[in-house]
Order: sequence, then structure tokens, then C-alpha cells
Amino acid sequence: MEKILEVKDLCKTYIVNKRQNNVLKNVSFSVMEGEMVAVMGPSGSGKSTLLYTVSGMDNMTAGESVFCGKSISALPENELSDLRLDRMGFIFQQMYMLKNLTVFDNILLPSLSSKANTKSRQEKIRYGQDLMRKLGIIDIADNDINEVSGGQLQRACICRSMINNPKMIFADEPTGALNRASSEEVMNELKKLNDEGTAIMLVTHDVKVAAKCTRVMYIVDGNIKGEYNLGKEEKETSFRDRERMLSNWLMEMGW
Amino acid sequence: MFFRILKRELKRKKTMNIILLLFIILAAMFIASGINNMTSVMTALDGYFKKANVPDYWFATAYEEEINRYKEFAKENGYEYAITPLMQINPQNIIIKGEKFDYSNTSCVSAISNSPKVFDKNDNEVKHINDGEIYVTAEQASSDKNDFSLGNTITITENGKTKTFTIKGSVKDALFGSSMVGMTRFLISDNDYAFFKNEQAKECYSVSIYTNDDAYYEKYLNLELNTIFNINKSGIRMMYMMDMLMAAVFLVVSICLILISMVILRFTINFTMSEEFREIGVMKAIGLKCKNIRRLYIIKYLVISVAGASAGFALSIPFGNMMLKDVSENIVIQGAGGVWLNGVCAAFTAAVVVLFCFMCTGKIKRFSPIDAIRNGQSGERFKAKSRLSLEKSRIKPLVFMALNDILSGVRRFISMILIFALGLLLIVIPANTANTLQSEGIIKWFNMSECDVVLTDEMMLQGDGNTKEMLIKKLEEVKKFLKEENIEADVYQEIMFRMTVHKDNKKASSLAFIGINGVTCSDYDYLEGDAPQDVNEVAVTKFTCDKIDAHIGDYVYINNGKETKKYIITAIYQSLNNLGEGIRFYQEENLDFSYAAGCFGVQIRYRDNPDSKEIGERKNLLSEKYPGVKAFTAGEYANYMIGDVAAQIDSIKLLIFIVVAVINMLVTVLMVKSFITKEKNEIALLKALGFKNTYIVGWQTLRIGIVFIISMLIVSAVSLPLSKLIITPIFRMMGAENMKFKINPAEIYIIYPVIIFLVTTLSAMLTALQARKITTSDISNTE
Repeated sequence: MEKILEVKDLCKTYIVNKRQNNVLKNVSFSVMEGEMVAVMGPSGSGKSTLLYTVSGMDNMTAGESVFCGKSISALPENELSDLRLDRMGFIFQQMYMLKNLTVFDNILLPSLSSKANTKSRQEKIRYGQDLMRKLGIIDIADNDINEVSGGQLQRACICRSMINNPKMIFADEPTGALNRASSEEVMNELKKLNDEGTAIMLVTHDVKVAAKCTRVMYIVDGNIKGEYNLGKEEKETSFRDRERMLSNWLMEMGW
Repeated sequence: MFFRILKRELKRKKTMNIILLLFIILAAMFIASGINNMTSVMTALDGYFKKANVPDYWFATAYEEEINRYKEFAKENGYEYAITPLMQINPQNIIIKGEKFDYSNTSCVSAISNSPKVFDKNDNEVKHINDGEIYVTAEQASSDKNDFSLGNTITITENGKTKTFTIKGSVKDALFGSSMVGMTRFLISDNDYAFFKNEQAKECYSVSIYTNDDAYYEKYLNLELNTIFNINKSGIRMMYMMDMLMAAVFLVVSICLILISMVILRFTINFTMSEEFREIGVMKAIGLKCKNIRRLYIIKYLVISVAGASAGFALSIPFGNMMLKDVSENIVIQGAGGVWLNGVCAAFTAAVVVLFCFMCTGKIKRFSPIDAIRNGQSGERFKAKSRLSLEKSRIKPLVFMALNDILSGVRRFISMILIFALGLLLIVIPANTANTLQSEGIIKWFNMSECDVVLTDEMMLQGDGNTKEMLIKKLEEVKKFLKEENIEADVYQEIMFRMTVHKDNKKASSLAFIGINGVTCSDYDYLEGDAPQDVNEVAVTKFTCDKIDAHIGDYVYINNGKETKKYIITAIYQSLNNLGEGIRFYQEENLDFSYAAGCFGVQIRYRDNPDSKEIGERKNLLSEKYPGVKAFTAGEYANYMIGDVAAQIDSIKLLIFIVVAVINMLVTVLMVKSFITKEKNEIALLKALGFKNTYIVGWQTLRIGIVFIISMLIVSAVSLPLSKLIITPIFRMMGAENMKFKINPAEIYIIYPVIIFLVTTLSAMLTALQARKITTSDISNTE
């Protein structure tokens, strides 16, 4: 297994009203290929900032984030865009979509705009349809984004994040706006993607969501306070056991 | 609390508020200057004529005995009149700063004391001229043919006497200031006039009559005076048709600017109000009353609109003056409404903004809090929006997104389409008019047959005692010269008379024409009937026919000064000459040429159909042979006769072009800025998905580009019918019943649209660069 993401001494500081607010303090960690890492922590601990900073969505104040062997902070804007388009996938807590496009066109847009994706137009369309079929939302392909439910829309966002076969998906509370049933559906799909080899790093408050991951990082006040290695889900360990073990560890961390 | 919310509201939505403010400034500026200038232009001639004391009737004659007859007639009937003696000076004998006066009609000098009122460039009456000083008409001064700059010298030689004058300025001269009057005059002091006056001096007389007697004209015609021209007040008004054509172009500009402003306001208010809905929803949700919410927004928009309207009012004054400059060069335009009208219009603009806001906030009552929230930023709507399918279309994603945005939100772009289309029409209509006036075919509207070259007429008609043979001899000399140069050509000329035509008890004074030396009646265009084919047949213009209630087949009696003869009307035609009046005789009709009142230029029609380059070379050849004589193409000559209106329209076209470019630039900048503000999170999302700045800038720019192209297509479809609709009535008043518009496709469909397109898209692109500042972390932030 190779490291897909390596973060060294990452710092992020906001200056508000001349007051320095250190959100991330010398954070270091790495994510291996095929891993599914959850970031947990209390509100305001810097989880989302960590996700956005390591993925290059936000600038870092100091430190380094190396994605697929490339230092994100050193990359020019255009190369960083290419990296986002072709090798990263993003899922947001709010199901952000372009309002004037149908669900399927939203999914297809990054694929048709990617130069690295060498598939033909027809193959891209077919792949997009396959993804939607796999996630059970093929019926809403031609719908406008306002015509579908939140769960369906979040699954559409997952399809969009997958359309260019990214190496890694970053997800910021992907189930945060969903009910339990929809949340289950979405996590199952992410799990399936991870099983197929896509690394995932997600931020969550939900133990059930985190229990599906292989590793959980607990962040407090901009520092990683601890890591818990759940490993891959195996048949001999029930999901309930994983959830219980994780809960116990989280309680130790002060959750 | 209320004012705290208001203060924060103004501060927090800074960008949108600034955009709204700028749009209101633009709208107030256009509406205030447009309406004030419209009223100024519409009442301009009335005000000018009143100020200049323009007579009810006006005629000119070259004969002192005719003046004496008129004096008796006026005395008998108790008519008030004023006589202005004018001394004819050959333009060849007028030297301006070492150069001969370039003018092909009659030029005169007259003394200031006998002159009808004239005004300087500041619209003050010129009552006194010092010896050695001279004033020229504004119409001459504004032409670039001669250098009448202030302080230049003019040397006039007449009857062996020479005097050099210093140009003191230009005057707005109601009677002699129009190019259509066919003569110009220089104003000098009484002493200087007396200096030139002697027995040999060719004096003519301009007579202004002030009467409200309805029977005057009938009595005057019965007098059968031998005049150079006679005209009533409405005729004098018609002489300013070309100035009014400019004014009409300007009116169209003003109307378009006002329309643009209203479209801008509607767009801005709708756009900014839709931004407010989420907050309105929140306020309703926490229990604020509708009237309080409404009051908050109305006060906010009132504050912005008052600030915008005040700035717009201040800017409208210089802007309006700049626009009026071309129209007010030749006539006194009194600011009809004055500054207060600008103020009223600016206040009206502010009121419209508040009214729009009042109407928009009316919906607040009907909306539940959640409806209002959903109408806002959340993007939730309850009907399908996407019109195209990326999956099914073959176009590139960038083009798809731009196109789909427009089709999905036509209402959002309709204002822009309208503004761009109106802007293009503003350029295209004057351009079509100028091209038509400059076209070679326009010579036919002047009662002339088509030809390749026209030589100015100074070499031809020489005072009294002309005979047909004499004139033909001169034309044959030109023909002979061309033959010596191995050029086969027909050389002919139109000779002009002033005659009285009557049918039953109706009489009219009209210009009459006969072509000599080979040109036949069948060489002209007629609206109805057949060309005269015998000496007792005539063609008459529709204008003259209407005056005497004559039709084809009717007999009319024409008095040519010596005798009255009966003719049958065989055809009706159109002419821009003397505002549409005209009679055409059969070419063999035996008229007394000593009564000729004038002539057109010598027309040359080459038999070998040379191309324009060859025509140009032959023009040079003729100019060398006849120094001092100007050679024109047919189109140039027609344009020369109407005072180079095409050039004036060309100059206003340039001004309009600049104004339209600036409007497009401003509207584009403000609209793209508004779109970016509203689409901030979508742009951030695209960036998060890996789309580069170039893609986003391209998307924003392309959208504007497509909108412009849509406007261009609309304009291509409507420009010609609209040009006809607007301009034809003006030409109809001048005598041209049936106009054929000449368009220059390269200019109308390529050059101007492409330049404006480039300006617009470049502005869109530069503004869209602002999207670079939006980062992926702005995905959930809205202003």
C-alpha cells in the first residue's frame, strides 16, 4: 500500500480583528491507498478546515500536504484544478449542484470537461449512467435538482465525485443533512467505492458513519489527539461491535 | 433597531448596492438628458423661428423693377415687409486664407443693419459688425470644405474692388443658414457693403413678409413676379429638414437611451429584490410585520435611488449638452425644459425605483416565510429549469453551460438582449440613412438622371442672356475634350426655371426642369404614368400636383414668364428639390432660356461603363482641365447639394457609436458583476470540482457573447424595416415618396457589430476575471 496523502506539520491560522486564531496546529498524518479515514471531533475543533486544507480547497498557513506525490501548496492554481478535476472527488454536507443543469448533466459535466479522462463521450455518458444505476438514482437522471430528495441528491453528488475515477474522495459530513435511512444508503455507497479501491477521507459527527471507516482520527483544538484503527469490516466482527469499540474509544478521547 | 438593520443592510450587501446605485445613476442620467433634449429638439425650430423673427412669406428676386412692383403691391394691400439687399459675389472671387471659396451655389454679402436677426454661437443676437470684420453662416463654418476659423482672413473682390476681412465668428442665420436654401451669405458692416456697391454690382433682394392674411399667397401669385424663389414659413421650416433629420436621429437616440434606462432599472430591481427574499422570509419567520419589512426595503431603495438620481442629475447636464452639440450647431436651441426638467426627470427615476421596489415587495404579503426563503438563495424552485441536455447535445461543456443558462433563465437575460439590440439599432439606423444619402442612386431623387460624374455649374450659366445654344455649346466642349482623351460620353445638364402652374383656380409656384444635350425624359424615374413624349406633355411632382389638385391626364397651364401654355400631365414623379416641387418638360420643348433661374451641374455619363477607379481617374482629368470646377460622382453631388448631411450623420454616428460602446461596456460590467455576486457559490463549486479560472471566465464571457449575438440577429432582422419606418416619413415630407434604402452590409452586419461585440465581450471578460477572487471555500458563502 502506498501513501496517497501525506500531511506534515500543517498549520492554519485565521486573523480576525487582528486576533490570531490557530485552527490547525502542526497536524501530521497520512492516508494510504484504499483507506477510509474518518475525522471526528467536537464542533469548532478544525475538522472541516483540515479536510479543505489538505485537499487544497483552502490555503494552508504552514506545513505541507502531498497528494499523489505532489505538494499541494506548491502547485500552481491550474495544476491544482487539474488535480481536483481528475484525481480528487468532493462531497459536501450541502448538496451543492449547478442549478440550471439536470441531475445527470451535473454528474457528467466534470467528466466531459476533463482532458485526463480519455474515454470517448459515449463511454463517459455510459459510465455516468452506470454510476447512477449503481447508486440507484438512474430514474432521476433527467430531473432538475429541485425535483429530487436530499438523499438522492447526495448520491448524485457521490456519482459526480466518482465520475473521473478519482484516487481519493474528500467528504465533509456527507450525511449531515440526511435522515437515518438516506444516511445509511449514502454510507453504503461510499463503502462500496472504498471496497473498489478509492481512498476516502470524511468528516463526521456520526459514530455510525465513522464505524464504517478503517481508521478514525480524533481532532481537538486543531491537534490530532488520537487515532483509532478499526480496520476493514470483516464478517467475524459485527458492525455493532465496531460501533461499540469506536464509541468507547471516543469516550476516552473526551467525546 | 429599524435603522440598525437598515445600516447593516446597506453595508453588508455592498457590492449589490453599489451596482444598483451605478445603474440608477446611469438611468437617471439617460432619462434626464434624453427627455430634456427631446423637448429641446422638438420645440427647437419654433423657438428659433420666433427668436429670429422668421417671416410668414419670403422671396428673392434679382430685379429691382420687380421689387418696385412688389412695394406697390404691399402698399396697396397693407402688408408689412422688410427688404434685405444682397450683393452676389462669385465664389471664385472669395479667397479664404489664400484658398478659393469652395462653394457651388450663390454666395452673397449683406450689411448687418438690413439683415434679419442672426445669432452668434452663444445664441446672442449679432447687431453690429465693425468695418473689416466678417461673419459667416454656421452652416458654412461647420463644413470642413473651407477653413472659416476665427481670425482667418477673407479677401473679397468685386467690380475691381478688393477688401480683406477678418473672420469674427459664425452666425445662426434662420433664412440663409440652411444648405437647402441654395445660397449663403457673408455679413459685413454697412460701410464695407457700401464700399462694394456701385452700378455694376449684381444686387438681389431678399424680401420678408409678415402677414396673417390667408389670401396673401393667391394675391402674390397673381402678381407673377420674376423671382429666384418664393417660400412660406412652412417652406422655410422644411429647409431645416436636414437639420431636423439630425434631430430625428438624435430623438431616436434619446428614446433608445430612455428605453435602455427603464430596462436597466427593471432588471436591477428584480435582480436585487430576488436577493432579498431569503432575508424577508427570515424576518417573516421571526414575526416581523409585512408593512415593517416593506418599509425597511422601501427606505433602503429610497436612500440608494436618491443618491443615484442626484448623481445622475449632475451628470445629465454635461452629457445632454454633448449630445445636443451637433444639432445646435446651425440653429438656436433653447433648453426647453432647462435644468429643472433634468431635476424632475432624475426625481422621476428615483420614484420609478421606489415604485418598482414597492411593487416587488407587494409579494411579501402573499408569501409564507418558507416561500420567501426558498425564493432566495437556496436555489429551490418548483418547476423544471434546464432546457438543454448535456448528455444529448454534442456541444462542448463550456458552450453548453453558457447556452443552457440563457435558455433556462431568458428573463434574466432579456434586459441585456434588449439593451444590446437597442444600442445596435442606434448605430444601424443613422448608418443606413447616411449610406442611403451617399448612394449613387440618390441623384434620381433630385430630378436628375443617373450619371457617372457631375461637374459643378460655375462654368455654365452666366448671369442673364443665356440661350440654349450657348449652353449646349459649352457642354459640347466638355464632350469634345473627353473625346480627345478617347473617352466616349454623353454630356448633358438640367436647366432650372421658376414657373407658375395652375389648374382651374389653383395656382402654385414651382421649379421646372428641362434636360439639354441628349438627355431624354425617359432617362428619369417616375412614380406613375409615362415620361412626356411631346412638347405639350409634362411630368409633375406629387407635391406640386397636390398643391393644384392635379392628376395624370389633367391639363395644366404653365406660365414661363413670357407666355402661358397648356400642357397635359403624363407622369408623376418624386423630387427632393425645393421640398418636392417640380415640373419636367419634354426635352424638345422650346423654353426661353433667358428666364433660366439656375442649373445643376454638368452631368457626364460614360458609354464604356468604367469601374469606380477609372471614374476617379477621369474625375482628376476633368479637374485638371477645368481648374476651379469640382468633379463629383453622382452620390457625392447629391450629398453636396443637401449640405453634406451624410457627413453630419456620419459624425453623429461616431458619437452614437462611442455612446453605445460605453453603454454596452457599463451594462456588461455591472451585469456580469451582478451575476458573479449571485453565482458566487456556483463558481466556488465549479472551482471545487476542478474547473479552472479560464473556464469560469470563459463561461461568463461566452454567456454575454451569446446574448450579444442574439441581439445582433434580432437587429439584422428588424434594422431595415425600422430604418424605413423612422426615416421614410422625413424624406416623404421633403418630397421623396418612395425611398430605396441603400445598406452597406459590411458596415451594418460586420464592422460595427464586431467592434461592439469585441468591446462588450472584452468588458465581460475583464469583469469576469473578478471570479478569480472567489475561492473554493466560498462555496457556502453568499454576500
